[in-house]
Amino acid sequence: MTTEKSPQNLGNEPNKNEDLMLSMIREILLKEDREDIADIKAHFDDNEKLAERINPIIEIHVESMKRKFPREYQKQVERIVERKIKASQDELLDVVYPVMGKMVRKYVNHQFLSLKEGLDDRLGQLFSFKGWYNRIKAMVMGVDESEILLRDLDHTSIEEVFIIQRDSGLLMGHFSRNETIDRDVIAGMLTAIKSFVEDAFSKERQELELIDYGTYKIFIQSFHLYYISVILDGSISSAEKDALSAKLLDFAEKEMPNTLANDVSPSDYETLSMQLSKYF
Amino acid sequence: MISKKVILTGNFGVGKTSLFNRFVYDRFSDKYLTTIGVKVNKKVIGVDDEELSVLLWDIAGEVSQDKVPISYFLGAAGIIYVFDMSRPLTFKEIKKDLDYLTELLPDSVIKIVGNKKDLLTQEEMNHVLAELPMECNITTSAKTGENVEELFSQLGRLLLERA
Repeated sequence: MTTEKSPQNLGNEPNKNEDLMLSMIREILLKEDREDIADIKAHFDDNEKLAERINPIIEIHVESMKRKFPREYQKQVERIVERKIKASQDELLDVVYPVMGKMVRKYVNHQFLSLKEGLDDRLGQLFSFKGWYNRIKAMVMGVDESEILLRDLDHTSIEEVFIIQRDSGLLMGHFSRNETIDRDVIAGMLTAIKSFVEDAFSKERQELELIDYGTYKIFIQSFHLYYISVILDGSISSAEKDALSAKLLDFAEKEMPNTLANDVSPSDYETLSMQLSKYF
Repeated sequence: MISKKVILTGNFGVGKTSLFNRFVYDRFSDKYLTTIGVKVNKKVIGVDDEELSVLLWDIAGEVSQDKVPISYFLGAAGIIYVFDMSRPLTFKEIKKDLDYLTELLPDSVIKIVGNKKDLLTQEEMNHVLAELPMECNITTSAKTGENVEELFSQLGRLLLERA
């Protein structure tokens, strides 16, 4: 059976052949490339294979970065750190303040201790009875011997402790052995007195440290954003003052938050007050 | 309860301590006793359903606010700037004083208070208010107690909004 070819069919025949030929040529020419692409795709899809190839390159880059980083980025890092420190000076000071205070106090105490031990040794060589020691001590201090004996008998007790915001005078925490009439007003008034004295004398870096009121002493330990005020009943010697100061520095370091909000929330107040009662 | 420091400031003899006493103790005295340094007291005020503890600092009057020790202002959430409506000298420098306070405490709430309204007629009062270079927020009389509670209530509401 023969098929009659229409003029249209006759025109399409060479085109079909051409397409087939081109397809075959394409297949031959691109076969290798396609196999390569399939191989690369398989590598990319398989994480393990990919890691095997890329990890060594990354390691080389990391090593190179480590070597070059200080040289390439030192100035930028220094600028960022400098900016950051300037922006958070208050927080930084609050962290450093108790630690620095402790270090300075430790050094001064050590020096005084050495001095005291030296004096004790000398006195010990000369006198063996406590009475004689007191007599000499009274002479050295320029006070009456009875005053030294009384001081030995005097017992100092901590009556109240206030943690107060330095600027606003708002109470942040409180501990008391007895009921106080109005601790908020006391905190505010103490801040006003402190501000008044410090402004009136305007001595740089000088702060009010002790207020004498009858048999009471108000000891003040200042920090950057707050201060702690301790109400004592009885007299306080330099050594006791040092010990109290060290205790307050320790409290500030361990219990006080590094940043302080403008407002004192009731929960923060409760927490600090509880910590104070544990310490004192 | 939230606590806030509020300062009462202004010229000499404008009635800051009288406002303080009227607000805290609800009393008034005609005797003039100048304030030395500062006096601090506290009052709890109720605003709607909330309570606010106001720690009020009554600062000694000065002819100019830049004469007041800066440490008294620090940490204040609210400022009550008082002038005497019957004495023009006490509001002559009001703009300069308020510019100074705004610069010193940009985040605080400021209330400008014209006190001693009981000494003026309505016409005189209108004249004083029209002369002021800025708006007076409230006029009060510590003597009669008029608007004193309202002043602290308005201030308390603003302070609680910002808390």
